[in-house]
Amino acid sequence: MGLLSILKKLRSSPDKELRLLLLGLDNAGKTTLLKQLASEDVSHVTPTAGFNIKSVLSSGFKLNVWDIGGQRKIRPYWRNYFENTDILIYVVDCSDHQRLEETSTELAELLQDDKLRNVPLLVYANKQDLATALPASEVAQHLGLHLIRDRTWQIQACVATDGTGVKEGMEWVCKNIPVKK
Amino acid sequence: MIVFNIWSVLQWYLRPIIKWFLRKTTRLCELQRICYGEKAGAPRACGVERSLMLSRTQCVKEVVSYLDTVVYERRFVPGNFREILDPSISVVMRAKKINPKLHGSFIVSFRQCLEQIWSYRSLMDEVEEIRRTQFDSGNPEHEEKLLRLWSLLVPHDKLEKRVTKQWQYIGFQGDDPKTDFRGMGILGLENLLFFATEYPQASSHVLSHSLHPKYGYTFAIVGINLTSMAYYLLKDGSAKTYMFNAKRHLPNINLFHRFYCYLFYEFDKMWIESKPQDIMEFSIIFKKFENAIRTELADPSTVFRINIEIDTI
Repeated sequence: MGLLSILKKLRSSPDKELRLLLLGLDNAGKTTLLKQLASEDVSHVTPTAGFNIKSVLSSGFKLNVWDIGGQRKIRPYWRNYFENTDILIYVVDCSDHQRLEETSTELAELLQDDKLRNVPLLVYANKQDLATALPASEVAQHLGLHLIRDRTWQIQACVATDGTGVKEGMEWVCKNIPVKK
Repeated sequence: MIVFNIWSVLQWYLRPIIKWFLRKTTRLCELQRICYGEKAGAPRACGVERSLMLSRTQCVKEVVSYLDTVVYERRFVPGNFREILDPSISVVMRAKKINPKLHGSFIVSFRQCLEQIWSYRSLMDEVEEIRRTQFDSGNPEHEEKLLRLWSLLVPHDKLEKRVTKQWQYIGFQGDDPKTDFRGMGILGLENLLFFATEYPQASSHVLSHSLHPKYGYTFAIVGINLTSMAYYLLKDGSAKTYMFNAKRHLPNINLFHRFYCYLFYEFDKMWIESKPQDIMEFSIIFKKFENAIRTELADPSTVFRINIEIDTI
């Protein structure tokens, strides 16, 4: 199970099923991240039409990760998947300077949604292996993360294709699972 | 698990006994029984391949590994078939004590099986190499292919610039298709291009479906996902049924493209017939489609062809 063995720590939690929602623009690396989480081969990824879902079992814990396509045509459907989300994971391609603004706008819209209120946010600053990638701190600034007051958030630099930083992000996820009523 | 183990152990011991018994009663070796008894195409070629792979005869094993080496060195092309296959066939004939004078028709059909089996293996390498080639906007050849795809699919509209929203019309995700090929590399583009070139009617028919206001989908993105499906079917051997049953064609890159076109045409049909609510149903219908195709491929006698019928929706 590799990465997900860290979820053993979650045994104490009464809820055994978690819903993670992966969002971000197209070509951000959501599906690659999903495959990385499931310890699958990441070299044959294709663009997502619709969505992918993977459930990963780890120490009696069921992690349902929803990866929704990022292209503009699909974004209106994102809302249909908001309900009961435990953690929102937002993926940013840090080498795509031209669309930083677009990705900020999309994120800002997500954070305003009622259904996602108080849901902890993890931002993966992806593609750090590329020479043109902005560092995570700069991406955080562009996204205006420091202005967020209504939820816990974290930004994690990562390289989804080789797994660098992915585990650290998931560790943060584990520590910040909201206590369910 | 245990049952499986017992079975494989039993098979290891029983297979030679059964083979010996059949050999004595029919006076034919297993390869002959397959070549004479099975229908030409996938049933025969797959039977021969299985028999060769299970063989414990040293010189048969050597023939297999020799042919694999030839494929690895990219020399298994029709021009070399005689030179490569003649000695391989005589080695097998000698090992199996088959009289070439009495069994001329065996040689013909055995040769055809070898051509099919190792052309398929050669094709797997070729497809893998194309897939590994990433789309590169700095490569004029790649760029030319991309632009040609546009002009074939949308002949009445000119592309305003290289990077433009227009690409979304044929179902790419953004302004520049280059990031959409991803794990399928240039293979995704080659597949689409072949579909548009060789089946202009079918591809424009499918494209028009993809633009349907209610049942529309993203043509190019779905196409790239179908490339991935065709690639996996080739890789795990399921596509043998298709390739070996294609009359007059040995497995080669064009046949792979044709296989892809077949998949695209059939997927489109299933998609429209399913009357999906929106594109979010894609993964479910795609999985259903893959299962249907796998079921068809599992029957070695299935022959595939595109039945083009232009309907109006």
